[in-house]
Amino acid sequence: MNLLSIPVLLPLAAGLLILAISDRTRWLRELLAIGVTAVCFLAALNALAPALLGQHYQLTLPWLGGGMDFSLKADQLSAFLLLAVSFFSLLVSFYAFSFPDKGKAKWFYFNVLLTQSFAAGAALADSLLALLFFWEGLLVFLYTFIALSRDTAGSRATAMKAFLINGVTDLCLLLGIGLTAYLAGTMSMSEISAEKLTLNGWGGLAYVLLLIGALSKAGAIPFHTWIPDAAVDSSAPFMAYVPAAIDKLLGIYFLARISIYLFQLNGAMQLVLMTIGALTIIIAVMMAFVQQDYKRLLSYHAVSQTGYMILGIGTLNPIGIAGGLFHMINHASYKSCLFMTAGAVERQAGTGDLGKLGGLFRAMPVTAVCFVIAAAAISGIAPFNGFFSKELIYKGTLETGWLSFFIAAEVGSLLTLASFLKLGHSVFFDKRPDELKDVSEAPFSMLLPMLVLAAVCVVFGFGAAIPAAYLIGPALDNLSLFPEHALSGFHFDNLYLVSVIVILGAVMNHVYGYSAARGKASKSSDHIHYAPVLGWLYALAEKRFFDPYEQLMKRVPDFSALLYKADRFFDWLTDGLPVAAAGRLNDLSRRFHSGSYPAYMLLMGLAMTLFVLFTANSGGIK
Amino acid sequence: MTISLLQYMLIPLFSALLIPFVARRRGKLAEIFANVTLLAGLINIGWTLLSPAVLASGFSVLAEDGFSLLMVLTIYLVGLCVSFFSASYGQGRGVNTAYFYPLLLVSVAAMCGVVTSTDFFTLYIFVEVLAVASFALITSDDGREGVEGAIKYYLLTFPASAAIMLGLAVMLLSAGTFSFDSIRIIVYSGASAPALVFSLSLLLLGFLVKSGVVPFHVWTPDAYQGAYAPVSAFLAGIVTKISGVYAVVRIAMFLRLFETGAFRLSEVLMFLGMVSIAVGAIAAMKQDDLKRMLAFSSVSQIGYIVLAAGLATPLAFIGAVFHLFNHATFKTVLFLNSASLEKAAGTRDMTRLGGMEHPMPWTSWTSVIAMLSTAGIPPLSGFWSKLIIIIALWDAGAVTYAVLALLFSALTLAYFLIMQRRIFFGKKSPAAETASEVSPALLAPAVLMSAVIVAAGLLFPYFFSYLAETIASRMVL
Amino acid sequence: MIEYREFLYLAVTLCALAAVMSRNMLTAAISLAATSIGVALVLFDFRAPWAAVFELSVCAGLITVLFISAVSLLRKEEPFFAEDRTRFRLLPVFALIVAIGGWIAGWPFFEALADYARFGARGQSLGSMLWESRRMDLLGQIAMLAAGVLVINSVFAAKKAGK
Repeated sequence: MNLLSIPVLLPLAAGLLILAISDRTRWLRELLAIGVTAVCFLAALNALAPALLGQHYQLTLPWLGGGMDFSLKADQLSAFLLLAVSFFSLLVSFYAFSFPDKGKAKWFYFNVLLTQSFAAGAALADSLLALLFFWEGLLVFLYTFIALSRDTAGSRATAMKAFLINGVTDLCLLLGIGLTAYLAGTMSMSEISAEKLTLNGWGGLAYVLLLIGALSKAGAIPFHTWIPDAAVDSSAPFMAYVPAAIDKLLGIYFLARISIYLFQLNGAMQLVLMTIGALTIIIAVMMAFVQQDYKRLLSYHAVSQTGYMILGIGTLNPIGIAGGLFHMINHASYKSCLFMTAGAVERQAGTGDLGKLGGLFRAMPVTAVCFVIAAAAISGIAPFNGFFSKELIYKGTLETGWLSFFIAAEVGSLLTLASFLKLGHSVFFDKRPDELKDVSEAPFSMLLPMLVLAAVCVVFGFGAAIPAAYLIGPALDNLSLFPEHALSGFHFDNLYLVSVIVILGAVMNHVYGYSAARGKASKSSDHIHYAPVLGWLYALAEKRFFDPYEQLMKRVPDFSALLYKADRFFDWLTDGLPVAAAGRLNDLSRRFHSGSYPAYMLLMGLAMTLFVLFTANSGGIK
Repeated sequence: MTISLLQYMLIPLFSALLIPFVARRRGKLAEIFANVTLLAGLINIGWTLLSPAVLASGFSVLAEDGFSLLMVLTIYLVGLCVSFFSASYGQGRGVNTAYFYPLLLVSVAAMCGVVTSTDFFTLYIFVEVLAVASFALITSDDGREGVEGAIKYYLLTFPASAAIMLGLAVMLLSAGTFSFDSIRIIVYSGASAPALVFSLSLLLLGFLVKSGVVPFHVWTPDAYQGAYAPVSAFLAGIVTKISGVYAVVRIAMFLRLFETGAFRLSEVLMFLGMVSIAVGAIAAMKQDDLKRMLAFSSVSQIGYIVLAAGLATPLAFIGAVFHLFNHATFKTVLFLNSASLEKAAGTRDMTRLGGMEHPMPWTSWTSVIAMLSTAGIPPLSGFWSKLIIIIALWDAGAVTYAVLALLFSALTLAYFLIMQRRIFFGKKSPAAETASEVSPALLAPAVLMSAVIVAAGLLFPYFFSYLAETIASRMVL
Repeated sequence: MIEYREFLYLAVTLCALAAVMSRNMLTAAISLAATSIGVALVLFDFRAPWAAVFELSVCAGLITVLFISAVSLLRKEEPFFAEDRTRFRLLPVFALIVAIGGWIAGWPFFEALADYARFGARGQSLGSMLWESRRMDLLGQIAMLAAGVLVINSVFAAKKAGK
């Protein structure tokens, strides 16, 4: 039996077995899941060790024929990913042991194991067809995971939202894979990489389709909108497991695969990737900053951090890609840890509303310390792991020469720290409300995974050489990239000074916001939340005006009505058009001239910018 | 600049500084002082321009800049009308005459400074002086709307100042001078640096904002509507034209940008002009407030001037300058009449007016003259300026713009006819039953201006030769 | 090597901080004037006499007059209302951030500037500069001053009457 079948088949079998176990047994399901994930973790370690020496485990089964084989291959990158997937599965299984609000234990562990099985398969797949198979499988379990985590209408609606968004993008992926296979003449990724495809003609379309699939899995804008909803409608272990860890791992893994391994990208596509990355960073972090719910705030950060990875990979230079991959694993560790602290606080205090929490440091010291470490890591404070991966991404970005993306990333970093200052302050440090005076520390089974992950944050920070040597470096070798600089080590250079500026700026912002909110830490983002133009945008965003899914769903009834009315329209066209048009135009102009400063200022600013851009273009600054 | 032009700026400034001391106790004295100053200036400039010797020579003896001279004449004309009008209008409205008239005179001085300056920095300083003075003028009476209008005026034209400052900085960096003549020489030599063109486009942007061209027009309706009534006439008739449109035309005229470096700028200018014409006319159609409607009409008329300035042919400049003058005359009449209506009928809400022709025939007929001139009905002055602009457009091959300009001119007539019907003609409203004609002192400025409109229309050949001689042949090379 | 120039920069910065952070409006206005004078000296030092002249006449002279007259008008009428001053206390932190940023990016720039001033010859005298070439601007500034005084009088008078 091949070693590679263990991480795929074992969880699958165990997941099915769990459904068969009687409901009257205590702890049996939990222990089985923990055992299975532990075995898988060991197997993954065993697969990684030879891969580092250049010996890849392979498993090839004839499948549909005609070159369409079912092949798995544990090369360095895949083995790295497999290890990460198994690691987080183990930790989440352990964490969920005594977590009450995760839905029925039977279904929860079924979903965890099945997701693990399919994620491992997707990570190992060498054939694009196999990858597609596992990828689509994940989609099914994403739906069941959310829908079965709570018995509410909200969770079912969110599950449907996640399913539809990912379903549509997976359809793109399917088309992209078909096109790629057709262009390359083979399904095997290692064969395609020998002769990379270019972006000319159909190749460009194929890449974009694949890119949509990868970005959607990773949760970049505009495909992220289900994640914040899931944070409200689903459980903390789910958030710690799927959106924080598995989805990011797979999405970024696949992004790296297609961008470096399968296709030869050009400057334009580099710009597209970096723009998507920067926009994701900024927009999501702006949204995160004003959230009032613990998990929802974290979930926006999960989106925002994806932006860094995309930015890193989008730089297309070895340093940036190393940073992107390093950030992927770092993000999974600290974000899982943060979601776990969210779960712990929710379990012990009964709420995740920042306005109702406060002063829990004394009651839950271990959780608080884990939170502080993970928050420092996500904010990129030296010497935790987030700092080192971000530093690599910054370097890669600067190397491309696009300063604006670097600035966007730094601004994102500032706002990240600002929002964690707000979060930490309002949960762990502010005055403790009377209702929370009996709160105690979370049980050991929940603390242990958090501590392990916090330790990872510290170890990967102080000892950034370890992942660089055993995980990231080999993965880059696998992609035939050879960075010029060392991937680890602390440098007292300008980048470090900039990070100090960012920290000072975030602290300044927080102190200002805190004082402006008159000592309510949870309101310390209000000065930005209700700022003139931003307030308006935020209000729209909270009404989900910018959510493509919600907008589309809202349009569905309209669309059918439209078809009906199209008929009426042709009647009307011949009847009252001229009169109505004049009236409409007049009303429009009256409504527009409403006397609102923000609207006027916005128009003025926009028009002035356009004017300068347009005139500068010809005969101007060029 | 010659000393003879400097006097038009200095005398009102001295007068303004004198009034608060002289007329502290006696408000009447302030009025007399201001009116006399302005009348003297008007007679002086009128004589300079229209003395028999000058007329006989076909204006060729005028050594000064014809554009500046014409603008000085317009400034004094409108200034005198407004100051004379407010003398009889202001009682009982909380207007402090000891400061109102000096501010009026300071803005006249500042406007003269604007039109006589030969240097972009000086121009900018005077534009700012004008902005400060207008800010206070808008809030002259005790109404609350005035404050809102003033603040809107100030805040929304602030970006314009920013753009102008930036442009000045870039200009100093790239050309090392602000002087019109030096810049003109640099541009004409063909060696103009792109940065210089860029700085001019920034200046142009700033002045476009100040002149209230769509999409920068948003402050105009609120400022005009909210301002103290005679001040609305002053603002709409002359202030925003001098602080914005004048500079736009000047830059377009002096610098021959559009043939050398920045043809794109010319396209933008023409496009914005056309959009202003359209948006202003459409928005004016359904307003209920008379002053707001006139404000939008003003936006539309400025569009014609900017459109012509963007075209930048000699004929187009003649049209633009003439339309600038005409706009000052007819818009002043209309705004002054709206003030009279407000005084007589107590409202300027068009839904509550009607049949006002019977009690107020003079106001009605001066409005008709101004409105027909705005809409371009021969033989009034507005007809000629629009005609020149449209012919210039047609000649230069901009046929689409020419046709659109003609069509929207018809729309102008439409909304003014609607206005006239709603206010003056039709059934007598309750307001019309009680109202009566305002005093001759209030009518005189409107009548004077209407006479100017008719005269400028009938004596159009003189005007044309003046503009052709002093502007088209000397400045547009 | 530290020169008088560095002290000048420091003094300007401190005056500017004082202008923003001061509780008393009169002190703030005077600190602002001091800042302007410092800036004018810096500009003159860097062979930008025109800019120095504008800075001195407009910022240090004219605007300060306006500010002080406005403050004296306010003083009699209105007690200072309580305000949240945290943002002002944060200003030194912000200045520190800018300083670090300047240290990263701006050092060569400052060096170049200092060289420029060091080797530069002095221009014309201030007065001749002012009168010879910018006469019209001076008139404009006088007009601005007149307008400012009139505005203060008319707007504040209206306000008083309103009360």
